[in-house]
Amino acid sequence: MMTYIVFILSVIFVVSFVGFSSKPSPIYGGLVLIVSGGVGCGIIMNFGGSFLGLMVFLIYLGGMLVVFGYTTAMATEQYPEVWVSNTTVMGVFLLGLLMEVMLVLYVLKSEEVGVVFKFSGVGDWAIYDTGDSGVFSEGIMGVAALYSYGAWVVIVTGWSLFVGVLVILEVTRGD
Amino acid sequence: MNPLIFTTILMTVLLGTMIVMMSSHWLMIWIGFEMNLLAIIPILMKKYNPRTMEASTKYFLTQATASMLLMMAIIINLMHSGQWTITKVFNPTASIIMTSALAMKLGLTPFHFWVPEVTQGISLTSGLILLTWQKLAPMSILYQISPSINLNILLTMAVLSILVGGWGGLNQTQLRKIMAYSSIAHMGWMTAVLVYSPTLTMLNMLIYIMMTLTMFMLFIHSSSTTTLSLSHTWNKTPLTTTLILITLLSMGGLPPLSGFMPKWMIIQELTKNSSIILPTLMAIMALLNLYFYMRLTYSTSLTMFPSTNNMKMKWQFETKRITLLPPLIVMSSLLLPLTPMLSILD
Repeated sequence: MMTYIVFILSVIFVVSFVGFSSKPSPIYGGLVLIVSGGVGCGIIMNFGGSFLGLMVFLIYLGGMLVVFGYTTAMATEQYPEVWVSNTTVMGVFLLGLLMEVMLVLYVLKSEEVGVVFKFSGVGDWAIYDTGDSGVFSEGIMGVAALYSYGAWVVIVTGWSLFVGVLVILEVTRGD
Repeated sequence: MNPLIFTTILMTVLLGTMIVMMSSHWLMIWIGFEMNLLAIIPILMKKYNPRTMEASTKYFLTQATASMLLMMAIIINLMHSGQWTITKVFNPTASIIMTSALAMKLGLTPFHFWVPEVTQGISLTSGLILLTWQKLAPMSILYQISPSINLNILLTMAVLSILVGGWGGLNQTQLRKIMAYSSIAHMGWMTAVLVYSPTLTMLNMLIYIMMTLTMFMLFIHSSSTTTLSLSHTWNKTPLTTTLILITLLSMGGLPPLSGFMPKWMIIQELTKNSSIILPTLMAIMALLNLYFYMRLTYSTSLTMFPSTNNMKMKWQFETKRITLLPPLIVMSSLLLPLTPMLSILD
């Protein structure tokens, strides 16, 4: 099972995406986002990105999703929708689950799967440790490169985030 | 809106488009598109009423979907070529997805449904920015990936856009919807020649922006958003009736006005590449466009449209200042004799 851990994690990833895109109430969407964030962190860690996985947990789950949870809790309604309360939500959820199950069976049974890109069976999902990740981890070196060669990226993304806040304040302020 | 915030957000719209046009890394292009989209939402919502909110929501949803498709195409391209620079797209699937994403951003058929509804819901100035500035960024990316675009898909979308732009505008009396359908048709003309000669795409874009700017400035000057209120222009400023006539006929592509130049060059380029039926169809469908421009000029400049008597005696309040209207009018009507200058572009 450990050789196919990435495949299993990716299936759970897709299922949790189906879970929140079938649009229950945002509180339950946030719950599933936590699961998908944790599973995504697991996928990244299996590829050797321990720093990035830590970033997902700390910043994404521990910062952004917490703020999202608080604001949703302030704006929630008396009887929020679950996946089984509304026929539409349940239908979409089951449809997404069905499509994922069929895709998983397709991957497991056939030799070669060519949806958008070709990969041959489940074996392509297994992580083979090629060993040489060097003395430094790629994640930390990436951050160092971001702040040195990638200064323009820092400026652009920082400005986008700042303008995002300005835009949201402007839109919700109204007249 | 607070003037400082408004200036910041407007500059961010400009910055987003500049980043898209100047970057060589696909990720930066995507960031530029997102910055552009995010910053234009409060500009679309300048007046705070349900129509603008609905229009901004529609715009945001379609453009965000297009950005997601673009990101998917970028990642497929990364998988197949291993690099992030913008040259041509190395995989046919990625190329088709990217073309569809950029067509959604431009408003080409079959992704044109948002253009009339969004343009109708917002104010005239915001509609101006939407129909001119927002077309620059996707067109620049199409220009850069033009060697690898699937010809069948692009030409189908272009021809259908010209058809939809002409046919859809026939039943409209609201000026903003007319300009939206005109935009769809002109985008169709621009993308039809993209694979054959991208320079002509840029020429068409330039002349289209000038003509659309002129039209919107004239509409803003008379504060008219319907055909009926435009038909009262003879009473407010009689000079602008002539200007509306000239500019609308230029948009319809009639010689000797400058709107004829891109159509002429495009038809010439297409026939040089041995496609005869396509430019014939395109020229015939441009007549639909010309019909509803002619209807506007008929009610505005050529006749005194029937109106109630109190509409015939309007008070003159303070005139709005319209930026650069005389040069725009001159450029959007008198540029045709400069066509031989295009030979410097080769």
